Amino acid sequence: MGALQSAPGHQEYIDLAEKTGFSFEQIGVLHKRFKQLSHNQETLRREHFNEIPDLACNPIRAQIVEAFFDRRNIRQNGGGTVEEIGFEEFLVVMSHFRPPSLHMTNEQRENVRREKLRFLFNMHDTDNDGTITLEEYRHVVEELLSRSGTLEKETAKSIADAAMLEVASISMGHMEPDEFYEGITFEHFDKLLIEFEIESKMNIRFLNMDTTTLCK
Amino acid sequence: MCVCVCVCVCVRYTGLPPSPCLRVSVCLYIRRQDVLPLSSGDNMLPLGLLLLTVTAIGTGTGTRTGTGTGSPSLRGPVLGFSSPVPASPSTPPLLLLREPGEERGAPGVALARSAAEEPSGPAEEEQEGGEHQHHGGGYRVVQWEWSYVQTPYIIAIWLLVASVAKILFHFSQRFTTVVPESCMLILLGLVLGGVVLVANKKQLYQLEPALFFLFLLPTIVGDAGYFMPARLFFDNLGAILTYAVVGTLWNAFCTGFSLYAAKLLGVIDQRVQADLMDFLLFGALISAVDPVAVLAVFEEVHVNDTLFIIVFGESLVNDAVTVVLYKVYISFVEVGAENVQTADYFKGVASFLIVSIGGTLVGLVFAVILGFITRFTKKVRIIEPLFVFLLVYLAYLTAELFSLSAILSMTFCGIGANKYVEANISQKSRTTVKYTMKTLASIAETIIFIFLGISAVDKSKWAWDTGLVSCTLVFIFVFRAIGVIGQTWVLNRFRLVPLDKIDQVVMSYGGLRGAVAFALVVLLDGQQVKAKDYFVATTIIVVFFTVMFQGLTIKPLVNWLKVPRSTNRKPTINEEIHERAFDHILTAVEDIAGLQGYHHWRDKWEQFDKKYLSKMLLRKSVYRKSELWEAYQKINIRDAISVIDQGGNVLTSARLSLPSMASRASFPEVTNVTNYLRENGSGVCLDLQVIDNVPGAKVEEDMETHHVLAGNLYKPRRRYQSHYSRHFMPLGEKERQDREVFQRNMKSRMETFKSTRHKRHKKERSLKKRRGSDSREDGGSDKPRRNVSWQDKDPVVVPVESEEDKAEHSDPEKEDDVGITFVARKAETPKPRPKSVPAALDGSSSDVPLSPPGGDSHLPWKGGVGSPPPCVSVEATKIIPVDLQQAWNQSISSLESISSPPAPPEPVHPRVSALSRLGGPRPVSYTPPGSAMGSTSSSIGAQVSQGSFCFPEKKKKEEEEEEEEGGGGGGGGLQEMQPLMSSSLRPPPSSLPPPPPPPPGSGRRRNPCVYLRSLVTAPPPGGSEQHSRGPTQL
Repeated sequence: MGALQSAPGHQEYIDLAEKTGFSFEQIGVLHKRFKQLSHNQETLRREHFNEIPDLACNPIRAQIVEAFFDRRNIRQNGGGTVEEIGFEEFLVVMSHFRPPSLHMTNEQRENVRREKLRFLFNMHDTDNDGTITLEEYRHVVEELLSRSGTLEKETAKSIADAAMLEVASISMGHMEPDEFYEGITFEHFDKLLIEFEIESKMNIRFLNMDTTTLCK
Repeated sequence: MCVCVCVCVCVRYTGLPPSPCLRVSVCLYIRRQDVLPLSSGDNMLPLGLLLLTVTAIGTGTGTRTGTGTGSPSLRGPVLGFSSPVPASPSTPPLLLLREPGEERGAPGVALARSAAEEPSGPAEEEQEGGEHQHHGGGYRVVQWEWSYVQTPYIIAIWLLVASVAKILFHFSQRFTTVVPESCMLILLGLVLGGVVLVANKKQLYQLEPALFFLFLLPTIVGDAGYFMPARLFFDNLGAILTYAVVGTLWNAFCTGFSLYAAKLLGVIDQRVQADLMDFLLFGALISAVDPVAVLAVFEEVHVNDTLFIIVFGESLVNDAVTVVLYKVYISFVEVGAENVQTADYFKGVASFLIVSIGGTLVGLVFAVILGFITRFTKKVRIIEPLFVFLLVYLAYLTAELFSLSAILSMTFCGIGANKYVEANISQKSRTTVKYTMKTLASIAETIIFIFLGISAVDKSKWAWDTGLVSCTLVFIFVFRAIGVIGQTWVLNRFRLVPLDKIDQVVMSYGGLRGAVAFALVVLLDGQQVKAKDYFVATTIIVVFFTVMFQGLTIKPLVNWLKVPRSTNRKPTINEEIHERAFDHILTAVEDIAGLQGYHHWRDKWEQFDKKYLSKMLLRKSVYRKSELWEAYQKINIRDAISVIDQGGNVLTSARLSLPSMASRASFPEVTNVTNYLRENGSGVCLDLQVIDNVPGAKVEEDMETHHVLAGNLYKPRRRYQSHYSRHFMPLGEKERQDREVFQRNMKSRMETFKSTRHKRHKKERSLKKRRGSDSREDGGSDKPRRNVSWQDKDPVVVPVESEEDKAEHSDPEKEDDVGITFVARKAETPKPRPKSVPAALDGSSSDVPLSPPGGDSHLPWKGGVGSPPPCVSVEATKIIPVDLQQAWNQSISSLESISSPPAPPEPVHPRVSALSRLGGPRPVSYTPPGSAMGSTSSSIGAQVSQGSFCFPEKKKKEEEEEEEEGGGGGGGGLQEMQPLMSSSLRPPPSSLPPPPPPPPGSGRRRNPCVYLRSLVTAPPPGGSEQHSRGPTQL
């Protein structure tokens, strides 16, 4: 991988760029960051993420870090998580946050949307069973509120419950009294956030220039 | 009479020829004499009429004297709006620093002065006229004090005219969808102005800059700033700043230079005596997009949020640029272009920085002050809104005082303070602030447009030069388009969500000019700027063209281009959750990627805000709540309101689809989400939307609805009552209102209740658990209950009220804005009680509300009430053994803890015992008894009135009644049931049969019974018990 830095035109670079859609410059910048995080090793492990100071106060840090090690997000078969990721996986996960290009057909846009949505869904669906259960959803909300400390867990629960009920009503419509809603499937999730314009929100501007020297 | 006055006033102000006025006034005069003797009679009504008449006559007289003396100028000053005086003082805000002392010193004073001066002129005149009339006798019963009320009177009349005009416009729905209101208002202004001109040969009124900048503009900007979607604004801050600064500068310079070129080329007539500096000055004031016009037009177009915020934000922020350019050019014009030194240009740039940043800082300082003050207004809720208005306005005035950008200051004050203020002040105050601001802004906007129209009809302004006008129109449009496209091109390289071509077209076309430009051009000094008249005329044309033509056509254009519209939809809870989650996710990813982007800094700011600002500016009670929680609460409130608005339709439909028994089947299922939630005591007021969306939803949903309804719907009312009843409001009205609402929704709710009844138990249980932790809520519940009892009782038992008062005093600290969820329920319980009394009287309907409270039966006070017959409970037990058992136990324990009512198990006279208790020594602390008393008394009343209420429909009441009845007819039933009940449970109920039965448990059980009964046909009162039993066995 050391070759990456020195030779932007290298085959590996081209492959990565094709696979993730990043430009060479962006790959270069991210690679530098990767090296920085991994202390110049070939792979990243969870503890490396935990060393990032800015991440420390992020309430859903654990979930996000987990997402980097989730097989589903790094296009590997099967569920579960891996122990360490290489640069390519790192890049693939990052590419979920790439802003859509200026000119896209509606179909492409829809694809991008679903892809981003899938990432989000996977993040919530921790046991990889295809549904976000109430337990999982509560967990999400609890984490989300965890930084506000004094807030009771009870409240988080209430919010999650209310949200879940909302999902049930939106996705199931009329439910018979003996029916029950076991969790949010991806289709429901899609339906739920259809107004959310995730494709225009789940974006980060990746710089072409190297600014990592400015950070610690 | 009113009509007469109106006619007269209209005549007066529209400046119709004097003769009709005279006639009107004369006939009014005659009438006055008719009326006079009447007024001497006795009551106030004739007197009021008289006053009105006199006013009208006075107006007539004033007109007569005014026109009669042939000095129209006298009438000019009459209108506060039109006085020529303010012109000079008004300049200060925007004028150069030259004479800071004199002019800038007191803009407010200037207006006051002008107001003071106005009357003086006409006053003298009128006095002559008045004395004519008045010299007849010694003491005059009625005085003509026109000069005294003149200024406010005229202002009020103008406001009235403007408001009425608004009403008229909206009569035709089809018309208003096509023609923007602003267009109509300008047209109306033109007509009014024309009438004045015809009558008077001279225009008396015009939009005075002082009035505009000191009063009209702040109201609009204040509203815009305070309710600015802060997040959206800051998300697009880069684009907004670019368009506002670069775009405005570009427009100003290009327009100025191009006009100068046109002049050199001879396109513009030689009569327009202007050189480069004049044109640059004109370009500066005409180039700025106007917030008032943009708001007026875009509000009706509903383009998507991003587009709107960019155009609107630009119009607000470009104020700094406009002010600076305007001031700089004016100073240049004064010194003469040839004397301008290089240093002056740098001064201009420095001035821009100071004006914009200074203005922003002033705004933020006031925002902090405002947040800090509202932190301590808990005890003076009633003036909370005033602080908001005052400080936001002070931010504006202070910025004007230092000749900084007042609009920026006010905007940032609003944006900055909004979060903290909204969190600090009470719900009512929030509503007050909102509506007052909207009202003021709306009326200010109306006045602005009307006066723009009126101002245009003025011969002195008709310095028409076709070349100048057409060139200006073309240039501002072309340069706006070029500027937008160029900047967008640059911006799109940085924006994550690019602005596409359609957006650019709308932005170019939405560059409306308005009253700010007009006020600025009127402020120009005719001595310095020779071509002022031409500029004024051109500005008017430009404003009219942009507001009317572009305003009229932008809607079709937007439709045609299929610009994405904004949806009025409020975000769902899930979207709120994900909104929050996204912020954190993106921040985290940025951090991981080592980027210090927007999200990174936003997160840093939020942490700072949380650590320091919020701690300082938020009340402690609020500080702990997270934003998500607030959002959640807001949604709950909104849903509750929407349910109320729908008048129970939802419930009705739900009711129809309810399978009476099916719900029971699902009951034990823990897997069901709703059940599950309930089981786990989430105790949430579940989102009503759920229910809304699924009209035929499950029974559980109905329960939730009930919950929410009871909580959200009634709690505020209760609070209202308690809050105001003490200090400000007559209690009677509140009660009546409550009762009304109850009765309206009763039927449907009752039905719902029946169906959901048994489900409730579980919930209630969970609630109970919660209750333990929430002592506060208990207090709340007590309170409502008190109210109830009081309501019903009013005539019957006086002491109840006093008790209520005490209770209120005991929990004065309670915040008005307590969480909806739990408290609400308690509130609910009380309500039903009060209802019950009336319900008993008028039948079953009132009882319905009670049923929800039935869930509250565990409440100690309920027990105090003298929970009804155990037999009912027994039945319930049969049906849902597990539930009932638990509930029963709990209820019993609670009962015992409360106090054991001494009521003997006399079946026939339970009421009596209750009554005796009431009248007797009741411990103040013993709130539950109070409620019980209320209920008992109510029941008593009911019984007294008749024994024939419809039991089936009543729920709680019924319970109570039942107990009593049980006392009467149900005694046997009780005994029968007892064997069924578990031994442990039995003893307490038997011991306290009618009056002090186990409150909570019994209540619940009863409810199911009620439910069952309802299923059966409604039995006559006497037979009700039997019926109930029958269903139970089902």
